[in-house]
Amino acid sequence: MSITAETCKEHAKDPAVLCCRAEAGITIGPENLEDPAIFDDLVDSGLLKLDGCLTIEEVLGAKLLKTCDSLSPLTADVVEGAKAPAAAEEVVEEVAPVAAPVNATTSVAGGMLKIHIGEGKDIDIQLPMGIGGGVAEVVEVPAAEGTAAVAAPVAAAPVAQEEKVIRSLTRKHFKVTEVKRGPETKFDGTVLYIREGIEEEAAASQKLVNSLKIDIITPENYHTYSETIMDVQPIATKEGDAEIGTGVTRVLDGVVMVVSGTDANGVQIGEFGSSEGYLDENIMWGRPGCPEKGEIFIKTEVIIKEGTNMERPGPLAAHTATDVITQEIREALKKLDESLVVDTEEFTQVRRPGKKKVVIVKEIMGQGAMHDNLILPVEPVGILGGKPNVDLGNVPVMTSPLEVLDGCIHALTCIGPASKEMSRHYWREPLVLETLHDEEVDLCGVLFVGSPQINAEKFYVSKRVGMMVEALDVDGAFVTTEGFGNNHIDFASHHEQIGMRGVPVVGMSFCAVQGALVVGNKYMTHMVDNNKSESGIENEVLGCNTLCHEDAIRALAMLKAAMAGEDVKKAEKKWNPNVKSTNIELIGNTRGAAVELVANEQSLPMSQKRKEKYD
Amino acid sequence: MGNIQILLRQHVGAPCAPIVKAGDEVKKGTLIATPTGLGANIFSSVYGVVEEVKEDRIIIKPDAEQKDEFVPIEEGSKLDMVKAAGVVGMGGAGFPTGVKLGTDLDGGYILINAAECEPGLKHNIMQIENECDKVIRGVKYCMEISNAAKAIFAIKKKNENAVKTLKEALKDEAAISIHLLPDIYPMGEERAVVRETLGIELEPTQLPAAAKSIVINVETLARVAEAIDERKPSFSKNLTVIGKIKGGNKPHVFMDVPVGTSVGDLIEMAGGLDGEPGEIVMGGPFTGKATTLDAPITKTTGGIIPTIEFPDLHGATMGVLVCACGGDETRMRDIATKMNSKVVSVARCKQAAEMKSGALKCERPGNCPGQVKNSMQFKKDKCEYIIIGNCSDCSNTVMGSAPKMGLKVFHQTDHIMRTIGHPLYRYLRVSKKVDQDI
Repeated sequence: MSITAETCKEHAKDPAVLCCRAEAGITIGPENLEDPAIFDDLVDSGLLKLDGCLTIEEVLGAKLLKTCDSLSPLTADVVEGAKAPAAAEEVVEEVAPVAAPVNATTSVAGGMLKIHIGEGKDIDIQLPMGIGGGVAEVVEVPAAEGTAAVAAPVAAAPVAQEEKVIRSLTRKHFKVTEVKRGPETKFDGTVLYIREGIEEEAAASQKLVNSLKIDIITPENYHTYSETIMDVQPIATKEGDAEIGTGVTRVLDGVVMVVSGTDANGVQIGEFGSSEGYLDENIMWGRPGCPEKGEIFIKTEVIIKEGTNMERPGPLAAHTATDVITQEIREALKKLDESLVVDTEEFTQVRRPGKKKVVIVKEIMGQGAMHDNLILPVEPVGILGGKPNVDLGNVPVMTSPLEVLDGCIHALTCIGPASKEMSRHYWREPLVLETLHDEEVDLCGVLFVGSPQINAEKFYVSKRVGMMVEALDVDGAFVTTEGFGNNHIDFASHHEQIGMRGVPVVGMSFCAVQGALVVGNKYMTHMVDNNKSESGIENEVLGCNTLCHEDAIRALAMLKAAMAGEDVKKAEKKWNPNVKSTNIELIGNTRGAAVELVANEQSLPMSQKRKEKYD
Repeated sequence: MGNIQILLRQHVGAPCAPIVKAGDEVKKGTLIATPTGLGANIFSSVYGVVEEVKEDRIIIKPDAEQKDEFVPIEEGSKLDMVKAAGVVGMGGAGFPTGVKLGTDLDGGYILINAAECEPGLKHNIMQIENECDKVIRGVKYCMEISNAAKAIFAIKKKNENAVKTLKEALKDEAAISIHLLPDIYPMGEERAVVRETLGIELEPTQLPAAAKSIVINVETLARVAEAIDERKPSFSKNLTVIGKIKGGNKPHVFMDVPVGTSVGDLIEMAGGLDGEPGEIVMGGPFTGKATTLDAPITKTTGGIIPTIEFPDLHGATMGVLVCACGGDETRMRDIATKMNSKVVSVARCKQAAEMKSGALKCERPGNCPGQVKNSMQFKKDKCEYIIIGNCSDCSNTVMGSAPKMGLKVFHQTDHIMRTIGHPLYRYLRVSKKVDQDI
């Protein structure tokens, strides 16, 4: 279909193909050109060959020498007066180490310094001295294709503002090298003893729990069958009266809690996409939400009342029963001598006035059937004190980045383990860490919003997100989600609500093949795909397609580009893993150090299930 | 001759209200219904007796003997006489001419639509050849009424005789000129006429008045002249009967047929049906609709076309491409059903803009916006065949992709084109530009 002048601009470097028969002598305009968005399909089906085809920017305004039929690629021999491309740049993604900006103009008008760069490559713009009000701001435009337009506020920007420390959080690490059973729960050096018989008490604490079993899984017996993994949790506790997100947190290294289970009929909790099987075949080691290879698992296997595996109370009972054990370890951990601290981490929440202010919106599941999240328990990833976000109506709840990193989310995930964020994920949330530490941006908070079941409720909560983002007056926003499908409806709506307020927004989700977005709108222009799987699917390998460091840095680079008003190229029609590789390479080049990518399920021993169902 | 049925809705606007009752004697030119809102007077087209007044029509039993005289309209200003005579746009749209001419063009243009773009219809061109003077008188009246400084005949170059006749008749008329059109469909679309003659591209929602012009059909001009010169009410219609008719598929042009005459009577006058028709189309091949033998003609009927039988597709899957230039979705589905196919996908041409009334208008008549996306939809929806109603240019574009994708293409006019021996609408081989040398 013919295109508009606006589309021509977007696709200036795409091939120029006639949409209809055009007669010799005409001046080629947008109305003569086919929409490049559909070329992939046409080329695939052999209807179109683009060899030697000129680009749209080259042919606009040129004269057609020969009457050509529809879908004729415009080549040099049928066009007179084609313009030379604006810059000698063949492949848009590829970046020359140094390229002089072309058509750069600057002007000062109405208190705004406007810099327009016709063709931008690896540009550093420094505005050192006092023009108007005095600026000390460095705007770095990451290498990217297309037009870059940077508007730096001049009069409004105050002189070099200092970072402001809001609060800090200390993590004291204690090492565990062995987990044993014994008469009481205690530490002996680096050996953790768990009281014998605690299982019965834990099970008895919950009406819906029939039984609970503890398995100590050491690296030697990773090749052990397990029921579906419902959660992976750090074992951590607060010192003194400190609240989540401040003060001191004690945490055990080398050991994690793992919740697993079925109902009394043997049906997996979350059957329909669950991670049961041999542990070493079903866990994507080292994902933020997963165990590290080498860690000991204290794994509970909770059997809940038949038929309650797909309702909220069932899984919650399994988690609560497990927390009876965790809590007893926490109590012992509180008493450990300071001399056993092996490592201390210090997190500070800093605000950076004058820098681009951003917010992270994290969509968490709240469909109320089984997937829920407890927000802000008393202990890190605890139960007590946490409010289920379903009961909160899934409305947005603002948290500090340090609360997130201190276990303010106890996640009760459901089906689709590859893309769900376990409790441990938040403890090590890469986007929060990356954004918090990036000195070019000012992270103002992390906004959690539940994803309700009903569309009307989805829009209810996303409108609140919009209002909140409006009130925050941010320059940019991230929206992340877990899972795929239904939750993409509110994910899209969050983009709309934020985007319509003129705030650039970058979305992060597992999409690839199986999780392709089911809805969209015009604000969904900056998306980062969390997929890691080889074939772009939900492969039921725990944590495989969750948000990792490599995703966080891409999202951050993209948001910076968006806030700088740069164009980000439209996604290709079909999922193409090379887009990610190219972006990663671009960022690596700009940083001067390659970005290491995490492994995917192909690094694991092949499970029977994967063999049969997926690979 | 059977009964005359005069529909109360003959034109754009609300239906007229009858002012006669059963048993009333009427003459040619007796006013029998008047407008209730936007509309035009309706007259009896025969001498006879009102047999019945129904909700949507007045039925008149005509006398055996019919005189030529008629009841004249009252004298008045030229515009008043056009209004009183109930003249409406005879090209098919049926807009009340008295209302249209009421615009002050402030030295603008009367654009004469002589494109006669629907293939098979011949009565407009024949009228130029035979009654050129009357048409030109109509042009001059319209120029006077609406304060136009110039007039342009828009006529296809292929009509050499008519063009020659016009040129001769206009040799001393400095204000009236001729613009030649290429032989592609649609050139007679109102905004296409404005674009071709004046070079102004109007939005679908704009009227020609936005280009200081009025577009008016050849026959309408003759009716305007008749109203003013002869005080003749508008009760007759020129039309073409063509198709599956005994004696061959040559056009039969009938001038001044009484409005309300049945389709069956006209086909008989042309020679009678040559066997069972696939369907009978009232109007042109592109914009006409299926009709029946007992249906009456109106002030806007231009053609009656009995067609050959439809091919039988034995329930094959069909995609329908709806656009503003051909039939609406109902008509397209009607044809798809008559071909015994199953409609599984409907697409709309990108340029078919929906008006408030629900009618479609083409944004750039005759200039294709590209169609490959629609072909992709049809392919995706597993269509074996597609049926299109597109103009020459768009049909050509469809042919650029659909057959390569394995879609078999029908045009909604195929059965009519085969009936009248006209090339099918597929590929475009002629230029859209035409040399203006006569």
